[in-house]
Amino acid sequence: MPSHWFWWAITVACVVWYSTITVYVAIKGAKDIKSMLARLDATRKKEAEEQ
Amino acid sequence: MTNFNWLLDGSIVGVYLLVTMIAGLMVRKYVGKVETFLVAGREMDVYLGIASLAATEFGIVTCMYTAQNGYEKGFAGATPGILMALAMAAVGLTGFVIKPLRDSGVMTIPELLEKKFGQRIRWAAGVVIVLGGLLNMGVFLRTGGQFLVLVAGLDVRYLEIMMTVLLVGVAVYTILGGMLSVLVTDFLQFVVMSIGLILVTILILMNVGWEKLVTTVETSYGAGGFNPFVNPTMGWEYVLFNLMLNTAAVLTWQTTIARVLAAKDTRTGRRVYTGTAFFFVCRFMIPGIWGIAALATLGPVANTLEAMPTYLSTAVPAGLMGILIAAMLAADMSTDSSYMLTWCSVIYNDILAPFRKRPWSERKGLFWNRTIIALIGIFLLVYGLWYPLKGDLWTYLGVTGTIYLASISVLLIACCYWRKANSWGAGASIVVSALIPVTYLVMEQLPSTAALAKSIGPYYSGIATYFLSAAAMIVGSLLKPQSHVEGRTA
Repeated sequence: MPSHWFWWAITVACVVWYSTITVYVAIKGAKDIKSMLARLDATRKKEAEEQ
Repeated sequence: MTNFNWLLDGSIVGVYLLVTMIAGLMVRKYVGKVETFLVAGREMDVYLGIASLAATEFGIVTCMYTAQNGYEKGFAGATPGILMALAMAAVGLTGFVIKPLRDSGVMTIPELLEKKFGQRIRWAAGVVIVLGGLLNMGVFLRTGGQFLVLVAGLDVRYLEIMMTVLLVGVAVYTILGGMLSVLVTDFLQFVVMSIGLILVTILILMNVGWEKLVTTVETSYGAGGFNPFVNPTMGWEYVLFNLMLNTAAVLTWQTTIARVLAAKDTRTGRRVYTGTAFFFVCRFMIPGIWGIAALATLGPVANTLEAMPTYLSTAVPAGLMGILIAAMLAADMSTDSSYMLTWCSVIYNDILAPFRKRPWSERKGLFWNRTIIALIGIFLLVYGLWYPLKGDLWTYLGVTGTIYLASISVLLIACCYWRKANSWGAGASIVVSALIPVTYLVMEQLPSTAALAKSIGPYYSGIATYFLSAAAMIVGSLLKPQSHVEGRTA
């Protein structure tokens, strides 16, 4: 175990967690954007029809 | 001399800027209502929220100060990040404050405060939030420019022009697309920023090595470089002040809260908080390691704020340098766009509220929101870029932040959970939380009181602000019985 294990563990956790979450959020976030824009588009069209 | 290569690194930066601008402008067609403009029609989901919150809360100014913390305090300098992560996880898991806030369906914090404390407090809270926020943000642009000039080795004469062009670009997509553009560009910026931060950190850990980082901190700061409680520049008061500051920021910082308010429901808002919590450890640790690496490589320097970018300018090779600069531009652009939109939302929704006796049309509302963002952009240019700030930057940031955070966090907690809280208590809390930090700052500047201010220190002054602000709320509310006007609860 390297010296100052607490800060070593935090550093490793940061690199591993951040790398993993970046890939995960990049994939899931792109899907979120797609579905958000689809919902907004549907609302926009519905409002245009009502007018 | 830096490793920046205009052809290779310049191309990477150029492609990033082009893609961001296109994405930001493409979504403007969906904006037809003020609600869509300010809170994205409340359609934001968890992962987009995590990307947006992380990108917004990491700007170049953050990177500079957290790296400076690493350089000056060693690993212990990451303490505020750990405290903020704990606060954010606790708030996300329990829904403390953010649940009633999102359930109420408001667009800003002062709008909720009106339900409990009346119109005047809503207006006063709006003014405090905007003043604190804008003055805080006023220094972002110049600090960001300093980083880019040092890392890329640009001519300092072009700093103003370069940052003006960047701000105009950000303002254009924010004005046209509002929160939708902010969310979409934040997403791209999160990905680019994260790639740059991770790659540079791995490079530093490989080149400098863990043992050298630890030895440098041990030699320079001893046990205080690892333990904030025994560090002579930190101590328990530093830890307590940062716990209060970061908890208040998690609860009330308008750019953070904007993600809860834009979430599609309360559960999504809470999940965004728990999902982003650990990012705040990375937010301090990653640039902190860069700062420690600068200390290990450069040794003592005159300006500790500039140590990290000076070190990176020669430590990062061409190619990766382009990714680093694109990452830092991404960090800065996402912060600028979110901050401009957020303060605009408070100005429009709360400060201008008394002037809207009758509801404005969506068209008129959008026009005014866009005008306000343009005016905020002009303010940032004049105040933050063309007018150089004098004095200590950290004190400046601390004072402007505490003026807002202490009172608004007390008001918000009381609004959500204390039945007897009223406008007298709220008014007293706002006055007290503004008075103490400003008095401390004035005492620091006056020769006759400078020694006293130094003996008190910024941390005791900050802690006193939070406690006395809460005391003012309790005393003020109990002294004056609740009036008929303030009968509604949140």
